[in-house]
Amino acid sequence: MLELRNVSVSVGDKLILQNVNLTVNAGEVHVLLGPNGSGKSSILAAIMGLPPFEVTEGEILYSGQDIGELDIDERARLGLGLAFQHPPDIDGVTVAEFAAALGAGDTLTAEAEALNMADFPDRDLIVGFSGGEIKRWEVLKLFLQSPDLLLFDEPESGVDLEHIAAVGAAVDRLVSQPAGDGSKRAALLITHTGLILEHVHADHGHIINHGQIIHSGAPHDLFRHIQRSGYVAPASEAIAGETV
Amino acid sequence: MSEATEELDLLPEIDAKAEAILQRVGLGAQEDRSASAVLVNHDLRVALSEVEGVEIMPIQDALMKYDWVQSLMFNLIKPDENELLRQAAELLNDPIGHFLYVHDGVKLDLPIQSFTLMELPQGRQFTHNITVIGKDAEVEMISGAGVPANVHAGHHVSIEETYVREGARCRSVSIESWGSKMAVESYSRSEIGEGAEMVSNQIMLAPLSNHLSDTKTWIGKDASCSDQATIFAPQDTRRVFENETYLTAPGARSESMARMVSAGGTIINNALLVGQAGDTNGFLGCDGLKLSDEGEILAVPALRAECAASQLSHEASVGMIDAEKLAYLMAAGLSEDRARQLIVQGFLNLRDQYMPEEMREQVTEMIAAAKSGGM
Repeated sequence: MLELRNVSVSVGDKLILQNVNLTVNAGEVHVLLGPNGSGKSSILAAIMGLPPFEVTEGEILYSGQDIGELDIDERARLGLGLAFQHPPDIDGVTVAEFAAALGAGDTLTAEAEALNMADFPDRDLIVGFSGGEIKRWEVLKLFLQSPDLLLFDEPESGVDLEHIAAVGAAVDRLVSQPAGDGSKRAALLITHTGLILEHVHADHGHIINHGQIIHSGAPHDLFRHIQRSGYVAPASEAIAGETV
Repeated sequence: MSEATEELDLLPEIDAKAEAILQRVGLGAQEDRSASAVLVNHDLRVALSEVEGVEIMPIQDALMKYDWVQSLMFNLIKPDENELLRQAAELLNDPIGHFLYVHDGVKLDLPIQSFTLMELPQGRQFTHNITVIGKDAEVEMISGAGVPANVHAGHHVSIEETYVREGARCRSVSIESWGSKMAVESYSRSEIGEGAEMVSNQIMLAPLSNHLSDTKTWIGKDASCSDQATIFAPQDTRRVFENETYLTAPGARSESMARMVSAGGTIINNALLVGQAGDTNGFLGCDGLKLSDEGEILAVPALRAECAASQLSHEASVGMIDAEKLAYLMAAGLSEDRARQLIVQGFLNLRDQYMPEEMREQVTEMIAAAKSGGM
């Protein structure tokens, strides 16, 4: 579904990601683990085409199509959806108006209830949302958008444990649901703490540091390794599961 | 739209076509209003009140009926303020316009409406309205102006002198939609009496060639005035605002907020707030959103304190559409045009403003057209 081939990303003159290779197939959930500033969010931003991130080398393929030249909205309409870590306030536009603009008014009514956000439709988008509300909203937004490939940028950061469980359950439910055409969805999820792994079934994990994917393997094994040794590539015998 | 037009019968003396034009800027049926005034070209076609304590009549009739009306006319504004006003005051025979008088203590359930229609291409209009809201009266007013689609050019000059007497409450909404090549000069003067409260909302979104809005408000002891202006200037539209607010006595309060969007047009907003007495409080806000490199927004809020205990403040900002907000909305699948439209609508805060639903739709379409270069 998604393939990054030797992708390098810069912001201005600064190289952020270097020669990143990653393949996410339909039905798979991948987790990117990395410290602050490692380039995790930049991968998602580059996939989505967000400024100021610029792909300087390599290709981003979605369902076999090079999407590098497509605008953000074109990528979204192809089936990519991103839950932002720090979404901006959209003053004066309510959640309901936004859902209506997406043609998803009915989904809002049903899913807002499920995410305990039934009183949100009349609120301005993001304005005054607490940390936990932002995370729940971003998942709800993806329910409205119904993408095939789900990108989550630190869905548990800055959220208390109770909210992590709720967000995690919602993420898991969204990922497990088939896409609009009945095909399997896929997800690429960034986590700094790894706590969301308690609630989301992930198939593949990747450690990213200094703008490069330095190791791939079973997510829980990688997380345990990181807890012991930090965000470094393990020696091959030190960890079970796949290696790059 | 044409079917709806045939069914309209909102007011006597106004044909369905004219009603349809004015309905888009807020005209309602007489049964939904306390009183109605409609000026068509040079004729006050409707001056109708069926409510006791509310009088509405041509201004020349009012001058005959009440001798004190003479002292209200050209009282808050002087004909020698500029050449145009001098000509208008001296050269024309009978003034055209209405006198609205809400008697002391009258509290209205339904709004009073007042509209101006200019049907003649290249027409000239000069109107002079006087409004008196009596002591402790409570009134809501809806006013607006419109032209048929075939009227592009013309010149409209209006003078409004408004007296809100002691303890009265007045809420007003004004929506204008002139022809795209018209010149409009509006002079508005208001005197807000002791303990009175005035809330006004002006919506100026349709294109026109040149617009001068010259407003002065004097706010008395313990009185308050809150006004909002929603201003849109597409390409080839120039709007100039000269607003002065005077806090004349202790306890006077004012809050003024202008939201301005330039989609290639020019908006100049000079706002002066003057504290003339102690224990007064005033705020000026001007926020501008610039959608293209054409045109300009000039926001000049000014404060003048003539008394030590006068608290005055202002806030002004001009910027472009935030790229991060745009990217966020587009990442959800909205086109750039749709995303910009949502942001502009949100900025103009249209949702929280009273306006007729038909106008709301028209405004949305207007903003969409401006984005796609269709305006």
